[in-house]
Amino acid sequence: MSPPPDDTPRRELDRASPTLSRRLTVAGGAFLVGLGGGVVALAVATLLLSSVADGADTAFLLGVLLFGFGTLGWSGSVLAGRGFEEMQRRLDTGADWTEMDSRRAMARIGGFGAGVMLAAATLGTLLT
Amino acid sequence: MSTQTQTETDSTRRGFVSRLRASPFLSDLLSNRLALAGIALILAMVAVALYARIGALVGFAPTYAELQSSQFGANPSLAAPSAEYPFGTDIQARNIFDRVLYGSWLALKFGTVTVGISTAAGVSLGVVAAYYGDITDNVIMRTMDVLLAFPSLLLALALVAIFPNELGLWRAVTALTLVYTPRFARVVRGAALKVLEDEYVDATIALGATDPRVLVRHVMPNCLAPITVQSTLNFGLAIIDLAALSFLGFGAEPGSPSWGLMLSNGVSQGLLTGDWWWSFFPGLFLAVTVLGFNLLGDGMRDALDPRMREAVD
Amino acid sequence: MVSKRFVLKRLLLLVPVLFGVATLVFAILHLSPGDPARVIAGQRATDAQVAAVRADLGLDDPLWVQYGRYLVDIVTLNLGESYIIQRGTPILTILRARLPVTLELAIYGQVIGILLGIPFGIISAVKQDTLTDHLTRVGALTGISMPIYWTGPLVILLFAQFLNVLPASNRIASQFDPPVYTGLITVDTFVFGLQSGEFAAFVSAASHMLLPAAVIGVYGMALISRMMRSSMLEVIRQDYMRTARAKGQGAKITVMKHGFQNALIPVITVIGIQFGTLLGGAVLTETVFGIGGIGTMLVQAIEVGDYPVVQGTVLVFAFLFTLVNLGVDLTYSYLDPRIDQ
Repeated sequence: MSPPPDDTPRRELDRASPTLSRRLTVAGGAFLVGLGGGVVALAVATLLLSSVADGADTAFLLGVLLFGFGTLGWSGSVLAGRGFEEMQRRLDTGADWTEMDSRRAMARIGGFGAGVMLAAATLGTLLT
Repeated sequence: MSTQTQTETDSTRRGFVSRLRASPFLSDLLSNRLALAGIALILAMVAVALYARIGALVGFAPTYAELQSSQFGANPSLAAPSAEYPFGTDIQARNIFDRVLYGSWLALKFGTVTVGISTAAGVSLGVVAAYYGDITDNVIMRTMDVLLAFPSLLLALALVAIFPNELGLWRAVTALTLVYTPRFARVVRGAALKVLEDEYVDATIALGATDPRVLVRHVMPNCLAPITVQSTLNFGLAIIDLAALSFLGFGAEPGSPSWGLMLSNGVSQGLLTGDWWWSFFPGLFLAVTVLGFNLLGDGMRDALDPRMREAVD
Repeated sequence: MVSKRFVLKRLLLLVPVLFGVATLVFAILHLSPGDPARVIAGQRATDAQVAAVRADLGLDDPLWVQYGRYLVDIVTLNLGESYIIQRGTPILTILRARLPVTLELAIYGQVIGILLGIPFGIISAVKQDTLTDHLTRVGALTGISMPIYWTGPLVILLFAQFLNVLPASNRIASQFDPPVYTGLITVDTFVFGLQSGEFAAFVSAASHMLLPAAVIGVYGMALISRMMRSSMLEVIRQDYMRTARAKGQGAKITVMKHGFQNALIPVITVIGIQFGTLLGGAVLTETVFGIGGIGTMLVQAIEVGDYPVVQGTVLVFAFLFTLVNLGVDLTYSYLDPRIDQ
């Protein structure tokens, strides 16, 4: 195999897989914030729609949207992140999309969404 | 590379006009023949569009209503291209030449709207993300990343499915605006971060410059080049994607002289009967316009990219 | 060279991808303005009838109950039945019949794109800034400037109408009725040909495939050749390439030997992503050529509000996209053993 180009090895190191505890901190923190966000969303939606059941449904749907976004984004980043990095670097003007950033932030969004879902479902069941 | 950063810093101090004149970007671009060809094509299309639009308003070209309604009696139906009807006529006896010319106005108009809104939205999101960093940055950019990850046409289709039917062509425009915004946000954020790293910006902030002032005076001007490239490349894409949505039946209102719709009718009704001109000419204009934007955009990107600028050996 | 563990890890990614897509589809379908109960009951149904359908579908339950039920359905592969397009037919049956059609088209298109794009990209890079380079680049840019729904009709006109050498639409001439093994018509007819010694059906199927696949392929070629050019230029400028050249090897041999493999790596990663765009292209191509794959069906389903069909199609798209990117990853780690497995 031919000698490696100079700039690649560092990027490969960055991609090393994170530990389980690190993953849990990232997603878990967002999940807790999401629980709070779910309560707020439910309250606001209930006020706007003047029905607890509809408010809970709306808040839950918001959570589902974020959770789906996050899950798909996380796995999509892992799956096709390298390709996106390369394409950005060559065919686009900006060049700072990195798989790792995206993966981490997606985990946050997903965790937050899950928190909202749980809060909305629990409160919705208790209050109706 | 370090010399380049130096010139960039210097030139930012010198103000916009002189910087443009000295910019290696502009001189590279002007020496790129492909990019020049692109500019020529775009200018030609703009001229055609203005002719059709102003003509429709002043009276030397058919109005939108005339183009939209059938012209039985005035013209033969499905006439092949001739001196009188250079592009032939369609099944409703409408002159395809006039319709195609007006179509360029529609394409440029809605292209401008789509790209304009997504540029504005993308620029604000990108600059804010870069300037405030941290959570703001993460929330904005990751949302953008998710949108960025989908193939554009499929995402646009999904969005079109959500929006109500009554919006007509605006439904497609809104969907595409959402699809394109992330690209601008990403590019602008990258460029803005580079500017913010410069010491002189720190100095201005230390001297008491307000946030909006720093953003408008220092960050925005330095993002202009990448924004222009991105807008140009996306302009071509927007025209294609808008026409594609019209083609699939999610875009222009029935009867509208939009290229996508003419193509759609020409393909579904005229192709197997041999009335090739019906779909050929709208598509030709569409392809040439998009090619113009792609040539220019590609040339600009090369001019921006230092990796492409170094000569071999 | 590629460990089993790596393959397994990548395959496991299918779970979050499909889970995420399913969740997102659930959210989008509930956000969209249409009422499935109204769609099923029909436009003339009374409000009472619609309400009955709603209760029957469980649409009155809280959303989290519906979401849970929905996930259970998906895990057990119970994707429901079509509301409208093929009323009452299970989605799985529809997908099984239609998916191979789109898949076959996309695969041939991708192969043509790669076979054209890579050589063009290399030539363009090696002859940078010559007339050859300019022509190739204009060609590539023209390729992405021409929409599929225009090049499609164009080649139909040229080859089917004027020259009359290739068929314009459908997948095979109507007199043939080949047995279905895989659903991939070129494969089926070929197997049939091997069995019966009669290859007329295969020739017919292959010639029907040529135009649509070429249309998708030319579109795909554009991106691949631009990536290949950029990547090749970068590799050519690497120090070790200059060293190799200074050692006296001929420029062409150097390029072939050292450059190609390294330059190919970024291109391959993009091919995986491009498969998504290609599926979008297949939607348009199928419409133009009158091929009834899942692309045409998706458009129809969105138009009329046949939600189970939309959902099933999107899930299948995501599944395919994941599998293709798995393949890309395997090729990648084969070419570049340095990557962390």
